Amino acid sequence: MAFQFALQRRANTSFLRSSLTFSGGLLLGLLLCVALLIQAGVPADMLFDDLVWQVFFQADGLAQTLTLSIPLILAGLSAALALRVKFWNIGIEGQLWLGAIAAMAVSIYGVGSDSYRWALMLVAAMAGGALWIAVPLWLKERFHASELVVTLLLSNVAFQLMLHLLFGAWRDPTQSFPISPAISEPERLLKLGFGNLHTGLFASIGMVFLVMWIMERSRFGFQSRILGSNRQVAEASGIAVGTTLVVMVLLSGAMAGLAGGLLVAGTEYRLTQHLGWNMTFSGIVIAFIARLRPFWVLPVAVVLAGVYNAGATLKVFYGLTEATVLLMQGIVLLSLLWCQFIAAFSIDRRQEVSV
Amino acid sequence: MSKANFKTLHLRGLCKRFGECTVLENAGFELHSGEVHALLGENGAGKSTLMNLLTGVYVPDQGEIVLDGQPCSIRKPADAMAHGIGMVHQHYRLVERFSVAENLVLAADRAPELQRLPVAAKALQETAEQLGLALDPYARVADLSVAERQRAEICKVLALGAQILILDEPTAVLTDTESESLLAAIQRMANAGKGVILITHKLREVVAHSDRVTILRQGRAVASNLATESLTQADIAQLMMGDVAVSQRQPSNLQTNGPDLLVATGLSASRNDGSTAISNIGIRLRRGEIVGVAGVGGHGQPQLCEALMGLLPIDSGSIQLDGFQISQCSVSQRRSYGLRYIPADRATNALALDLPVSDNLALTKVASGSKGRFWISRKGLFQDAQNTITEHRIAGASPQGLTRLLSGGNAQKLVLARELDNDCVVAITHSPTRGLDVKSCGAVHTALRELTSRGGAVLLISEDLEEIMTLSDRILVMNTGCITGELPGTASASEIGALMIGGH
Repeated sequence: MAFQFALQRRANTSFLRSSLTFSGGLLLGLLLCVALLIQAGVPADMLFDDLVWQVFFQADGLAQTLTLSIPLILAGLSAALALRVKFWNIGIEGQLWLGAIAAMAVSIYGVGSDSYRWALMLVAAMAGGALWIAVPLWLKERFHASELVVTLLLSNVAFQLMLHLLFGAWRDPTQSFPISPAISEPERLLKLGFGNLHTGLFASIGMVFLVMWIMERSRFGFQSRILGSNRQVAEASGIAVGTTLVVMVLLSGAMAGLAGGLLVAGTEYRLTQHLGWNMTFSGIVIAFIARLRPFWVLPVAVVLAGVYNAGATLKVFYGLTEATVLLMQGIVLLSLLWCQFIAAFSIDRRQEVSV
Repeated sequence: MSKANFKTLHLRGLCKRFGECTVLENAGFELHSGEVHALLGENGAGKSTLMNLLTGVYVPDQGEIVLDGQPCSIRKPADAMAHGIGMVHQHYRLVERFSVAENLVLAADRAPELQRLPVAAKALQETAEQLGLALDPYARVADLSVAERQRAEICKVLALGAQILILDEPTAVLTDTESESLLAAIQRMANAGKGVILITHKLREVVAHSDRVTILRQGRAVASNLATESLTQADIAQLMMGDVAVSQRQPSNLQTNGPDLLVATGLSASRNDGSTAISNIGIRLRRGEIVGVAGVGGHGQPQLCEALMGLLPIDSGSIQLDGFQISQCSVSQRRSYGLRYIPADRATNALALDLPVSDNLALTKVASGSKGRFWISRKGLFQDAQNTITEHRIAGASPQGLTRLLSGGNAQKLVLARELDNDCVVAITHSPTRGLDVKSCGAVHTALRELTSRGGAVLLISEDLEEIMTLSDRILVMNTGCITGELPGTASASEIGALMIGGH
């Protein structure tokens, strides 16, 4: 007599269940990290302090965490928008770099007047990101080229373009490093007087609510839900498939571009080649954990920023290797995902019918 | 290894259910050594499931498979091969980059002697010669034509020791001359003592090339082990499709000489691969009418639906809906004139199963903008969905519940509620009752009749003659992408059957 196990998707996942599993996953991940860190020689009594207190409850640490979360929120939104219509955007970094280049270009060529150039820079950043994702979208719809490959490879092109500018035309002659000149004072986003935190945070949060409105309240959002779930049904019911796809995918690129613009105008004040690394995979992970719901992107991005922040501290103070920090981040993410899986499915045991 | 001398194979009382859906009920037949046994039935009748039970892809819920008097347990594909049962699928199981002989070596994990390339090549060569087929064992599969690949697959399965060979629609991809040579080879296989199960839609092949025939309909064997000698093609067609007494029919009460609602003339369209799917189709649908399009599956029915809906571009012809020329219109424009679509495959073409019921009920209205040009009220969708669920008695549905959880009948009720709305003028329906129980079928029929009684019209495309004969006011017959004739709704099954097989 054989038993079979079957995974059964739950009909409904309640809000309580999602919240509990999210906290449970976070706790499990942190506990595993604690074990890992103790093993790596970090004193046990300092762990809570470094992992939680410093990054979330202490002013400097919290400011740093929130500053880090600004581009992460936008990367998460970018991934969520594209995944909603089953478009695999593996080139968030590329769009971010194009956004940063576009913002920097507005500053370098002095477009518009000083008083509102910062706004032009951000708009240009969004346009740059949208332009960079328009190419793979067109190739996919016209020639069935896999967007997975094209977006990924176009990131390399964007990076080379950035290096070309940094080593050439845009290089700051007064610096020995290949970086662009700094943007002028009025072009910089205002500091909030809380660490390095700047008004870009409001832009990010604003985008969360804008995207939430579009995805959950607008006609486009509804249509994209159908399109992402079953394209044939979308076509047969008369949904404007092309328009919906273009709007959602270009918005995805624009969010990534805006992240680049905010890094230039709010944090770095110049174009450098160290901008926005790892944003693609962070963005996808955030979108997945948030289950493509824009509102949840916000807390998830802040938690992930905290983990990155703690990782940086641990590296400096305890001489942990980069690999250990990456492992730690991976453990937290996997625990979150695993717990979510358990929340969405139940495991049924069935007895096989004897023949 | 395979048994050298198989005599008889009995399949008895086989049942298979998936969830609540019974796909096979008490089906069975017998196969003798030296026999070509044809297995017939429409799409969804249960042929594939029955063969999957025989080849170990599925395990039966009930029933037994008896080989030479010994009940045998076939629980995985390797068991079937060990009993000498081999299958040639429609999509061949060959590695394209390898030669034919290398493919045999790859498949021969139970026959060590065949794992040497020269031995495998020789075995293939001998098998091909016995069957009178030309085959180069060292040719690369990628360089072979479809017919040559099929020969390679057949010789491979036989070389592995198959005594019982299942061929799944082998002539569907072949030209007439290729088919003839394959059918001759099948006869030689039988003469050499093998048992051949031939799955086909082509009735001419059944009559000319098989010894006995088993016909499945809706999961049951409506005829088992009939000798084909005494049968005509029309007899077989009638058994496949069922018959309906004239008294059970429900012709429309309205006068059916009303104005034309849908007129298609000279409609032609191609499949994605460039082959002709439908050619020169003419259809006239008048107010208050249900017009049935009867025909064996695979003769262009889905493409006809798609061409009428605007999902498949047409090569030539014109379509008029209620006086408007719509042949160049988009799907949404056609829908705005009142054209609606109930496709055969709900799960892939009508419903987004992973989304809530409310979304699926609202999607055409959201697409047309009538639920709001820019913003959609979720509360409004839930409220509308709740009303529709109550009004149409969709059991087990809640606005927020996943559509996947609905039973087949209730999922179809959802599609009907959405498509047959008050603005519906003409409904294109393709096998709207496929896979449904009697009660749900009744609900579908009532809904279609209700549409015609309020002045709409229905095009009922179906491979189930019973469905066509029950509902249609007029019957068109479709064959190889063409309309081959028109009959009144009172036509008998044999009259329709005669037109369906004509021209073959």
